[in-house]
Amino acid sequence: MKNFQQNLQKLEAADTQVLGVSMDSWFSNKAFADQIGVTFPLLSDWGGKITREYGVYKDEYQAPRRVNFLIGKDGKIMEEQVDKDAIDPTKIVDACQRPKMKQ
Amino acid sequence: MKRNLSGLLAGLLLAGAFATTTPAFAQTNKEGSSMPKVGDTAPDFALKYSDGKDLKEVKLSDYRGKKNVVLAFYVFAFTGG
Repeated sequence: MKNFQQNLQKLEAADTQVLGVSMDSWFSNKAFADQIGVTFPLLSDWGGKITREYGVYKDEYQAPRRVNFLIGKDGKIMEEQVDKDAIDPTKIVDACQRPKMKQ
Repeated sequence: MKRNLSGLLAGLLLAGAFATTTPAFAQTNKEGSSMPKVGDTAPDFALKYSDGKDLKEVKLSDYRGKKNVVLAFYVFAFTGG
């Protein structure tokens, strides 16, 4: 999540809202956000309903996998990054800065 | 009869192969198959977070027509990435 925080200005400049999601409680997520200095919302999917709807629940973790979805203003998914690829936000930042994403 | 026997043998071999490969294969399928694809409409949601004082609700549909959204799933709080 720190990686997104470091790129937050670029993302916001490209009209993009970052939302973290985990199955932690909102209490844990707030403490986590404070600890690592994240200013965007870390949402609590307590019980994992949304995690399962997005198909990212991993039995082995009993939690979500590391996955990024970039969703356009039309509500459609533009990019997906899974596991290790999801750590580096560069591709998401580049995608947001493409002219069509700004419209 | 001979044909039946070879059929049985092939069946047994196949069963053996599945017994060793199925768990990993099934797991990958199960975890990967239900992810929405690029171009699909992202499922809407309403989730909460704490801003330190209040619980606030965020809906994906709030951003429709206004902003792009990066939805970043992570495994656990207090872990890297």
